[in-house]
This record gives sequence, structure tokens and C-alpha cells, in this order.
Amino acid sequence: MIAILQWTTLAVCALVAIFRVPSALRGENRSIFGIFTLSTFAIMLSINVIYLPVDTWLGSENYANLILRFLIYAVVLLSGYKIAKGFDAQRSTWLIAGPVGLIVLALVAVATVVPFLLANTTGSSTGLGTLPDQSANNVDLIKLYTVAGRFYPSFVAACLLPATIRTMRSGLPRLPRIGAAILAVGAGAMILLSFSDLLPRHLAYLQYFISSAAILGLVLGLTLMWLGRVLATKRLVRR
Amino acid sequence: MPLPAKAFQHWLHGVAPTASTADICRISGIKRTTLAQQLVRGKVAETTLVSISRALKRSPLADLASFDSFTGLTEQPQPPNPAELVSQIATMDLLRAVISRSSPAYGGFGDNGSSMTPPLSAAPHATSVRNWVDAIDDGELRHRVSAATGVAPQNYSAQLTANRLSPELAVATARAAGVGFTGGLVATGLLTEHEAGWAPEARQAALDALSDGELTALAGERLQALGKTLRRQEHELEQTKKIWENLG
Repeated sequence: MIAILQWTTLAVCALVAIFRVPSALRGENRSIFGIFTLSTFAIMLSINVIYLPVDTWLGSENYANLILRFLIYAVVLLSGYKIAKGFDAQRSTWLIAGPVGLIVLALVAVATVVPFLLANTTGSSTGLGTLPDQSANNVDLIKLYTVAGRFYPSFVAACLLPATIRTMRSGLPRLPRIGAAILAVGAGAMILLSFSDLLPRHLAYLQYFISSAAILGLVLGLTLMWLGRVLATKRLVRR
Repeated sequence: MPLPAKAFQHWLHGVAPTASTADICRISGIKRTTLAQQLVRGKVAETTLVSISRALKRSPLADLASFDSFTGLTEQPQPPNPAELVSQIATMDLLRAVISRSSPAYGGFGDNGSSMTPPLSAAPHATSVRNWVDAIDDGELRHRVSAATGVAPQNYSAQLTANRLSPELAVATARAAGVGFTGGLVATGLLTEHEAGWAPEARQAALDALSDGELTALAGERLQALGKTLRRQEHELEQTKKIWENLG
């Protein structure tokens, strides 16, 4: 079930990235293509079958997981900045890419790298859930690492939520409004993800749904914006 | 609430007993699927009735009045008042009238309704619904309509902004304002002026009866509202462009 979910998410993401190649070659908004590509790699690294060989190749120290974290930070920063600019939300842009945002990012980067280096991460484990070293100290370090990894996406999503909701309720054409609604759902899921550790153990599998919803919300929302632009230009040409 | 399908079919059988559904659709220009869907759902749009009535060369107003929800439409017909008539003149026609009354130095004729002034464009115009409601509003009209029909004021306003008003609401609005029923039906474009029984020159006469001051003030109000709408549209276009630029 979870495998199906993950592979579907990957397929959607990869397809969108592939469809975006021609326009990236034409030089139209390459950062959107970047967001799709980085998301695709990030999803690949969260799937067991792909993670394990990659990490083994990197020395079985779970550096692949560290790479995954920074891939996610890059996607979140890039998409957050573009969405805030696209929705003309100066406050959000400032919070994400201004001094505040960069300080938050720097702190999160430190809070990611330091616990990771201090912890004993030997033995490939997707999501670091089943590391061989389960000593209390190590578990705490990994927990800190995980919290930092989820905090940054939640922070950016929280900055975007007001702007997406405002756009969703505005009088703009339908496609960008639906796109904004889907982005808002994705942002909501991204925020929930931070609190997903509070879920009771027998509901822990919901985490996978929430993270899929977050990434699919982002990718599909952006795809709709893109579709809207393509249709709008076509209509102009026909006229 | 549109017309109940049962009553509609009863009416149709009465006015065109021999015509098949296909014939009706062909002469009235209604898509067969549209009519079929409305009949299946049990609710027939008033526009459907008006199109068929028109095609059969009957009076759409009288045919509407034969339905329960529109009874009283043709009893004691009350002609539109001058404010309603003027509200159904397009903003550009009002501006043309302002210029036409000005001195020849500004391209006018210095008089009312010169033969050189082009005739008024037919009702309804781009903001006819809102202008009609404004013309008959004593300040409490929207509350009374909302109380009488149960339609929330913001839904009512949204319809006005979109230059739409369901025929029931148009009639309810006229009833609440104590004016004739035809004004709203013309303003929403359901009926033409002729079908509503308005005199052909009624709007022009109402316009000519306005003093220069009244006309200019009215044209100014309309122009201001138009400016607001255009600015909002420009702002939205700008926002959409920004989205395409950054996310498209």
C-alpha cells in the first residue's frame, strides 16, 4: 500500500519533470523545472528500493539521508520563493528569502548537519527508523535531526499559507485559483508533517500519506499554474 | 427556483400540441441535450420558456405569467418609471448624450436628441442589473429582498456584480421596491423591451427629460463605477501575469 503510494508519487513527479524539459530547454522559468527535478530525486531517495543501493554506494553511513534533507530544503526554498513572488506576497517573500528566512535556513542546516555528524549513523536505513545503534543518546540525536528536517518545510509552508488562501479566494481566472487551492492543501500537509510524530503508533503510517499529499500538492499546484499559462498564451495566439 | 418541469410540459402541450421535442428545439435554437437535462432534473430555465415562446411567436411575458411562481406578472401592468428607463441606457450612450448636449465647439449640437445622435443601443447593457437595482433602491431594498426570499445579501450582491439576477429574484426585487415587474426582466436580458411592453422611445424620452445637471451627475457616477471595475480588472490581470511569469 505504502509502496504503491510512494511509486505513484514518484511517477507523477517524474512525468511532470519530463514534460517540463522542452520548456526548460527554451529557457522558460527553469527554476520550476528545477523544483520538479529535485522533488523527483527527493522522492526516489525516500523509497527503500532506491535508497538502499544508493546509500550502500555512498558507504552505508546514511549520507544519502543527509542529501535527501538538503534536496528537500532546496525544493522548499526555491518553490517557496517563486510562489511568494508569483502571488505577489511581499511579506512571505521577505520571510522566506529575506534575512529572517536565511537565518532560519542556516540554523536548520546547522541543526541538521551537527546531530547527523555526532550520531552513529552506520548501517543503511531509509528514514533512519531502524539504525543498528539504538542507544538513548543516538536516538535523541536522530530525533533532533528529524525535527530540524521537518521544521524548515513547515516554516516555509506557514509563510505561504496566507498568500495561497488569498489567491484561492480572489477573483482571478479559475486555473490559478484551483492551483492555489491545491498548493494550500500541500502547504497544510507540510505543516501537519511537523506534528505527525505525535500520532499514536498504530496510526504512524499516516505520515506517508501526509508527506505524499505535501509533495503532490506542491507539484500538482505548480503544474496547474503552468497549464494555465500555456492555455492563456494559446488563447492569445488564436486571437 | 426555475419552472417545474411538469407545469412546463403541460404548458408546452397546450401551446404546441403537435410539435415534437425535436421540432421545438429546432425552431427555438435550444440544444436537445440541454432541454432533456432540464426536464430530467425537473427544473426548466425561464430562458428556455422564453426562447420557445419567442419561436412560437407568442408573448413570453404572458407565457411566464401563466406559471405559479410568476402569477400577477401581467395583472395591473405598471410601466417602468423614468429612473428605471434611464438605468437601462448604456454608460457610453449616456456619455454620448452629454457630449451631444454640449456646444458645437466640443462636438455637440447644443440640444437634446439631435437627429445626428445615434439611437440608443438595446437593453440590457454591461451593468444593467446593478444600475436597475440602484435606480429603484431606497436604501433598504436589499434587506427587504433578502428577508422576502431568504437569499443572503452577499449572494444577492455577487449576482449584481456579475450582472446577473435570477428571474425570481428580479421579480421579488421589483415587488419589494413597488415598481413594475418588467424592469428586472429587461435588465437581466430575459425579455426585450418590446416583449416587456415598453414603448419604443420610452428610454430616449426618459433620457431627454433629464436636466443637464442630472444627466452629467449620473454619467459621472457611471464613469466612476466603470473606472473602479476597470482598475480591478487591470489589477487582476497584473496578478495573473505575475503568476504566469513566476510559476508558469
